[in-house]
Amino acid sequence: MAESLSARNIVKHYGGVVALSDGNLEVQAREVVALIGANGSGKSTMSKVINGVVVLDGGQLLLDGNPVHFSSPQAAKKMGIATVFQELSLIPQMTVAENIWLTREPLNRTGAIDRKRLNARTEELLALFEGTFKARLHPDDPVASLPADEKQIIEVLKAISSDPWMLILDEATASLDSRQVQRLFELVKQWQEKGKAIVFVSHRMEEIFRIADKYSVLRNGKTVGAGRMSDINEKELVKLMIAKESVFGYTRGESKASKVEPEVCLEVQELRTDYLRGIDLRAHKGELVGIGGLRGQGQRDLLLSLFGDVPYLGIIKLFGRQTSFKHPREAMKNGIALVPGDRAREGLLYIRSILENLLLPSWRQYGFPLRMGKAKKDAAEAGAGLNLKMAGLQEPVSSLSGGNAQKVVIGKWLMRSPQVLLLDDPTKGVDVGTKAEFYVLLSRLCEEGKTILFYSSDDEELIGMCDRVVVLHDGLISTELSGSTLTKENLVAASLGVLNGGAQ
Amino acid sequence: MKRISISPPVAALLLAVILFLLSGFLPNGFGSDLAVAQSQATNILRLAVFLGVIAAGQTLVIISGSEGIDLSSGSVVTLTAILTYVIVKGQDEKVLLALLVSLAVGGLIGLLNGAGITFLKISPFVMTLGMSGVVTGAILIINHGNVSGKVAPVMARLIARPLSTSIPIPNAIIIWLIFGVLMWLLLERTTFGKNLFALGVNRVTARLSGVNVTGMNLATYALAGALAGFGGFLLVGNTGVVFINLGQPFLFPSIAAVAVGGTLLSGGKGSYWGSMAGAIVLTLITSLLTTMQMPDSVRRMVLGATLLILISIYGRQQALRQ
Amino acid sequence: MRRSHLNALAARHPALFALALLVISLLINVILQPNMFARDTLNSNMRVFLPSILLTAGQAIVILGGGIDISVGGIVSIVNTVLATRVGLDGSPEKMWQFVFISLAAGLLAGAINGFFIAYLRLQPIITTYATSFLYAGLALFILPNPGGGIPAQIAALYRDSTPLNLPLAFYIIAIIILIWLYISSTRYGKFLFAVGGRAEAAYETAVPVTLVQFSTYVISGLMSALAGIAITMLSGSGNADIGNPMTLNSITAVVIGGNAMSGGIGGVAGPLMGAITLGFIQNIVSFAHISTWWETFVKATIIVVALAAPGVINLFRSRRA
Repeated sequence: MAESLSARNIVKHYGGVVALSDGNLEVQAREVVALIGANGSGKSTMSKVINGVVVLDGGQLLLDGNPVHFSSPQAAKKMGIATVFQELSLIPQMTVAENIWLTREPLNRTGAIDRKRLNARTEELLALFEGTFKARLHPDDPVASLPADEKQIIEVLKAISSDPWMLILDEATASLDSRQVQRLFELVKQWQEKGKAIVFVSHRMEEIFRIADKYSVLRNGKTVGAGRMSDINEKELVKLMIAKESVFGYTRGESKASKVEPEVCLEVQELRTDYLRGIDLRAHKGELVGIGGLRGQGQRDLLLSLFGDVPYLGIIKLFGRQTSFKHPREAMKNGIALVPGDRAREGLLYIRSILENLLLPSWRQYGFPLRMGKAKKDAAEAGAGLNLKMAGLQEPVSSLSGGNAQKVVIGKWLMRSPQVLLLDDPTKGVDVGTKAEFYVLLSRLCEEGKTILFYSSDDEELIGMCDRVVVLHDGLISTELSGSTLTKENLVAASLGVLNGGAQ
Repeated sequence: MKRISISPPVAALLLAVILFLLSGFLPNGFGSDLAVAQSQATNILRLAVFLGVIAAGQTLVIISGSEGIDLSSGSVVTLTAILTYVIVKGQDEKVLLALLVSLAVGGLIGLLNGAGITFLKISPFVMTLGMSGVVTGAILIINHGNVSGKVAPVMARLIARPLSTSIPIPNAIIIWLIFGVLMWLLLERTTFGKNLFALGVNRVTARLSGVNVTGMNLATYALAGALAGFGGFLLVGNTGVVFINLGQPFLFPSIAAVAVGGTLLSGGKGSYWGSMAGAIVLTLITSLLTTMQMPDSVRRMVLGATLLILISIYGRQQALRQ
Repeated sequence: MRRSHLNALAARHPALFALALLVISLLINVILQPNMFARDTLNSNMRVFLPSILLTAGQAIVILGGGIDISVGGIVSIVNTVLATRVGLDGSPEKMWQFVFISLAAGLLAGAINGFFIAYLRLQPIITTYATSFLYAGLALFILPNPGGGIPAQIAALYRDSTPLNLPLAFYIIAIIILIWLYISSTRYGKFLFAVGGRAEAAYETAVPVTLVQFSTYVISGLMSALAGIAITMLSGSGNADIGNPMTLNSITAVVIGGNAMSGGIGGVAGPLMGAITLGFIQNIVSFAHISTWWETFVKATIIVVALAAPGVINLFRSRRA
């Protein structure tokens, strides 16, 4: 069993994007270190460098003081480092037992897998989480049939099954309910006593303070602070995590709510999808409604069903008229626009030009053959209106920074003057300056009478921008906050499902 | 020092020119005789027309992404060539009908391909390969060994002969140029073209931006089939005869031509100009091998190796470890 | 309740559908050919199916691992032409064995070439093996430009008449393949195959040697193709460079019928073997059904397309019901 791992001055880029410029981490046996940082701070990259999944471009890894180089995940595994991943590393078509023991299955004398021992060992592991899943879990169950929380538990069991000396929990509690988190933390304490080291990558303050001994904070790819948990409090940790010139001081102030008209623009009744279990919602003309809650509670489904991309049960009304959009095109034609959550995978055509990206939904308006001159003019205008920093309309969108790329995603919809704007975490991975421009833009749109539905994983943003915030938890609206009840404490509580119905 | 980047179609054309000049040095080559060189060049271009037209449909489906490819175009070419042959029977009035039938039959087969790919989720390679067998079977039913028919004089006039005695460019090349402009218009100046590229880059983004992915898929394969039908029509107008293996030799080179021309085999980027240049390059390779008196087997090996080299340069996917 | 029970069963054991098809096609075949189970007829049938069965086993493994091998037919042709030319009609048994080993080595090499480009250079499997299929087919044609040559009559007779314990030789070979597969699928390597085919990135993060596993599937396919080439040479007794051409699509169809997912990670080898035999029976049925020769090709090709479409159609109905 090793005793310590040090990561010093780690540098990593993906193409032109710098994920880490100075990452540092010190891990000792019998300790739980919390690796903390906002979205895009580089914490996931850090854990991937340590477990060998990505190659580091600069810096050093030291195991018990000796330099090591992980040439592959296998190498890191051999050194006793196991990871519980964020993006599941399970093979859906294989069973629970097969997934847990993949590459380490017990063999019998003929070299074949010993199924009896395999199942027995799997049952032993499953017993660790006994009582925290809804139904009985069998070693032969195909992983694809399991819900997200059980999949996450299998991930944990898979990591611990190799008896590693260091365990990395990368946002491992995201899909777990409170009972499962409690059990996991009990197990972590046991493993700590056995001499293991745990790295807890998370941004959930409450959990961090419950489980960690030490902390290490990443911001914009640099480690900006480390020390003992007992020497710091939540406010100071948050301060380390976010930039000084807090954009979150921005609020819409008086422009909020005063310009909201009584006309109901969007109405949703008893909306049900795979993740939603019955949502009722109303948005008025000129209103900026926020959607809050922890990731994966149905926010995405809500926006996608309004846009006609996922099938749903229930009623959706636009200006009083019931709609049933079967395809985004129909929603578009009725003045609805969606800025999706993952711009690389859903919002942009990366290798095509900025011009083509901006005009993708709108080419039909330019006749046959397409009037390129007018198209270029309109695109340039849209870009200027958004203060888009680019080398030229013909450049590929991949040449833009995160914030400017996001402007293109919004720009392509603004060119159509939509009535309703659905935003799925639009400021994710966007720099501070661009964020400020977005807030101004959204405020202006509301003043012009547009209706905006805005999901954000950033509580400060929701508080500063929205007239009202509905918080989703477990597929239902747990509460609605506005005015004086719209506070960070209430938001966080509601996200965890603590408040219900009314606010305190 | 700024890196000079050459667009792939231009690079392909340069390659063609180099290959052509090299061919001059061969025993049967033109040496330093300019007149012979000119007539040989014209001949190459004229031969390249047919491969070029057949590569048009291939260009479209490859741009559309998701491993798009059309392996049925070879047999569709043969089928429509035979249908044209049989319908026309030497009469000028029937030529228009034959053209329409060729387009319709090709389009229908393409539509079936598109349906299998879109609704039954069969991979384009397997679907079009299977369809190719069905079309070949249909050819045998029609063919029964021999067909009687004849190409109409107007076809030979329009396709095989030059425009006029003063302009020694064969009509076929002019047709091809017009065709090239039309393809450019389709890809770069229509909503269909813009949507096609979007489809090839990222289907999810396309759908979330309002593109009707299903409709586009069906339309692309149907159009590719119709274009192959047009290719068959032109081909029989040039050769004047039909036989069971008329179209098949064009299939593999059509894919290689698209790749040479710089159209990414993963989709989302490319042009028909590139495929035209690629068609010229491939016709040159084939004719060089023929001049060197290499048997068909060597031609096949060279083509296979060429495609392999091309994809090794242009087609590498992301590494497992980043 | 009954219906969903059946569905769940089908999902867990994809080969059941193949078994059902096998039984049905067997029954129809027996009706048309009542003496099917007579020793000589059974032997005759099975030895005709054997090359296809061997090829399908290799293809099943490649597809299970998430890839596909279009060059299998080409490798078969190479082996056939090598044996036919090098051993010849008057060759000695020793020479035959010598070239059998050389053929196996050739198959392994061809597979390794495929595996290199796909696993190490990370090229797309479909287009890569399509390119090598041309390369290999060209090589076969180069070795034997015109059908001819052959293997010693007594060796062909050995294959033809071998019926140890009154059962066709093919039965034993099929049994051996299944036994080998049963063993492999219960080893770690077997789980690696399913993991890589199921979700390669997840397998990579779990420290499965993905590249090596992918490479090995193509080598295995190359070996099986070589064995199929030997079998078909023993069957036909002579050489023909086109002999492997129709076998590629057959092997893919058999794998699809057998219940393996084309995307990888689901299925096995038993199902595809049953699929290969089923296809053989179906082709027998078509031959016995007294369809005119001209229609035979069309019907057989249509059956292949229907077989390829079947999983998609079934899925369509399932999702409609849900």
